[in-house]
Formats: sequence, C-alpha cells, structure tokens
Amino acid sequence: MSFIQIRQVDYSYPRKTNPAVAGINLTLEGNCITALVGPNGSGKTTLTKLMIGLLPPSRGEVYLAGRSLKQYTLAQIGRRIGYVFQNPDLQLFCPSVAEEIAFGMTRPGQEPELIQEKVDFYLDYFELGDYRNAFPLHLSQGEKQRLAIAAVLANEPEFLILDEPTIGLDAYRKKRLEDYLGKVVGLGRGMLLVSHDLVFVNRMAARVVGMENGRITSDSGQEGGQTHEY
Amino acid sequence: MNIDPRSKMLIVVCLTGLALMYDTPRQLLLLFLAAIALLFIFRFDIRTIAGYFRPFLSLLLFLFIIQTIFVPGGEVLLGVRHTPLITSGGLATAASVVLRIAVIAAAAMLLMTFNSRDFILGLVQWKVPFELAFMVAITLRYLPLFRDELLTVVTAIQLRGVELKRVPWGEKIALQRSLIFPVVYRTMLQAQQLAVAIEARGFRAYPHRTYIRRLRFYWADYAVISLSLLTTIALVVQHMA
Repeated sequence: MSFIQIRQVDYSYPRKTNPAVAGINLTLEGNCITALVGPNGSGKTTLTKLMIGLLPPSRGEVYLAGRSLKQYTLAQIGRRIGYVFQNPDLQLFCPSVAEEIAFGMTRPGQEPELIQEKVDFYLDYFELGDYRNAFPLHLSQGEKQRLAIAAVLANEPEFLILDEPTIGLDAYRKKRLEDYLGKVVGLGRGMLLVSHDLVFVNRMAARVVGMENGRITSDSGQEGGQTHEY
Repeated sequence: MNIDPRSKMLIVVCLTGLALMYDTPRQLLLLFLAAIALLFIFRFDIRTIAGYFRPFLSLLLFLFIIQTIFVPGGEVLLGVRHTPLITSGGLATAASVVLRIAVIAAAAMLLMTFNSRDFILGLVQWKVPFELAFMVAITLRYLPLFRDELLTVVTAIQLRGVELKRVPWGEKIALQRSLIFPVVYRTMLQAQQLAVAIEARGFRAYPHRTYIRRLRFYWADYAVISLSLLTTIALVVQHMA
C-alpha cells in the first residue's frame, strides 16, 4: 500500500491568483527514497507542507496510509512522518541540544536509560557531542541543520520528508548523512528528499520527481523505472 | 475617500483617549459602536472585523470573568455562603474593562489601513524625531511576526508527535518554556540583526533626512480632523461637567 497518496491536489496561497501547485497526483511508497527536484518557486516545499497537513488543499485530497489526512491530528502525522524544514531554526525550541534530540522520545514514556542511549548515539553520529548542553539557536547553520535532522530521526518515524537537508553541510558531513539515510531506508522506511543538490539526489534517490510551475513535469518512478515527461 | 494617515492616527488617539476617560459600560458601548461604524466608513467589512476580534474573544471572556468575581461591588446577584461571586458592580466593571479593550483594539484596526512608510512619514511631519517614528513602525511591523513565530513553534512541537491538548497541566507549564524561550530569543536576535543592517545602510549617519514623498492634507482631512477634535473636546467637557 502506498504510504502517501496525493490525488488531484491544488493549492493557492491566500490573495494569490496563480496556484502554487495544481493537478498533483503522486504516490509515495514507504520503502524507498524519492527525490523532488525543480527550480526555485516550483512548488516543492508547498507540496511537502500539503503532505504533512500544514496546508489544506484547495482541491483534492491527501492520504496517509490509506486514510485521509483530515482524519489525523498534526501530532499523529508527526509521529508517522518526520519533517525537516528547509530552515532548521523553525523546528528548534528546546533549551539544549540534548533535550532537542530527546524531546520526541520523552513523551511516549520511554525509559530514561534508553532515551539517554539514543541521545548519545545521535549526538555522536552527527558530531554534536561537544554541544550537548549548548542552546540550539546558538549553533552555526550547519550544526543546526544536523541537529534538526537528528531530532527528527530520533523519533524513528515511518517516513521522512527532508527539505534541502544538505544545505550548510560540508562534503564529509553530507557523506555521513547519506550513509545514515541509507541505513534508515534499509530498515524499511521511506523518504522524500527535496533538494537542488543533484549529486546527492542521484546518489540517494531511486526515483526522481521533477516539478515546475506547480506541476509535476517528470517522474522516473513510473512503469519500470522509465522517466515519464508530462 | 483617501484620508491622510495623520487624520486616521488622530482618530485613533481620540478614540483611545475617550476609552480611557469613560468608565461606564453604557458610555463605552456607545464608543465601541462608534468605532465599529468608523471601521465601516473606512471600508472594513464585517467578516474582516469579526476575524480580527476572534483571537481576542477568549482573552476578553477570561478578563470578564476575573473582573466580575474579583472586583465585587453593588448588589450581590450570586453568592456562595457569605461570599459574593457575581455582583452588579463586578459585572459593570467587567463590562467596562472588556469594552475599553475592544474600543482600543477597534481603533488600532485603523492603523492597518496604511503602510509603515506612511506611518513614519506622518509622525515625522508631526515633528516626531525620525528614530522614534521608525521605532514605533518597526514594533507594529513585528507584532504579527511575533505571533507567527509562536505558531511556528507550536507547529514544530506538534510535528514531534506531541498532542498539545492532551498534555497534562504540569507538563503544559514546562512546555511554555519551549514555546516562549525560542520566540523571545529569535525576536531579540532579529532585532539585533535589524539594528546592524540599518546601521550598515547609514541609519542616523546624517542629522537630516530627505524624503521622496510628503503627505498633504486635503479638504477631507481638515474635515475629519476638525470633526474628531471638536467631538472629542465636546465629549470631554460633557463628561467633566
């Protein structure tokens, strides 16, 4: 069963005549990496926000695991889909780096020792150990990006949407991220990467969906892996 | 009818002044209705006005209840044992407080009818130092951003899987720290960055500024200003008498 299904979705921002996205039909499976590429302003981020219910479609419907997104609360969506914003500042709100990573884990009542273990793992993997007690908003842009990704991954969601995850990352850390995301997919989780980094996209994605002017213009994932141009 | 921003600012000052002066629910209700009528004259429709007031409703209700219970006076309408809960004086005070806030909020809507550049220009032409006028305009510009920042953090918390409505009260208080701290920090950081950015553009580099535009009064502005001042003075004199 497809994990996310978008059927005939349009969306227009308030007081704008042209739709930001129009006529979107897209199915995302829960066990592969899909990349969403396109020029600035093509509607990629808008589409991801529609997928997680941050924006309600003007027309059409979005389905998560077979159920309409309207039947979920934002928190229920957040438990199943991990979303990393393009600007990591928007999702950092805890007083320390360690708390930021632990935040999602403390709610369901996991054991403190297990939480601590996971926090240590992510701090180590994303090389944020030196900043354990630092205030997240004091970190550099790249460090914030790593922290935002770590904090979302720590929740172990079934599906990840990463909006420009490589911004601010140097080549070494990009490689570390690639390795980690590869492991995540190996565990049976799906992923949507929104990225301008075509090298990263080509290395990671099994399927590439192209967007332009709010519409899907190509999709390499249909009918036997052949790219279909629209 | 294009009214000069200064005329509208004067209306706001008059309405706010009257709201602070009046202390009975009847007077304040009439003032509130007058403020709403003015909004219709300035082409606000009922949906915009209702949408503007909607976020305030729960705060106004909360204030009404608190004032009613904790500022007793007059006849006891509802009491528990010998403790007055609802009194006529309490209701009157509560209504006055709520209506006063509503009048000021309605008056502030008039400030939304022109942009910050005209606002600064208007104040400067009224001999307010540019730095002060700019400071006020920036504050007004950032208030909605402050609210947006709060909403962003609330969204981010929910996207981490937290059902805010189901969080126990004790944890809700702890969550406030996660809500308020980053918003205040980011706002202060933005203020700092804005200060650097405007200084880098030569803000206050010279004692005098040149303005591309100048605001001008037309006959409608003189009429509005005269009417506002005369009405306000008459009401003040009537109230004092």
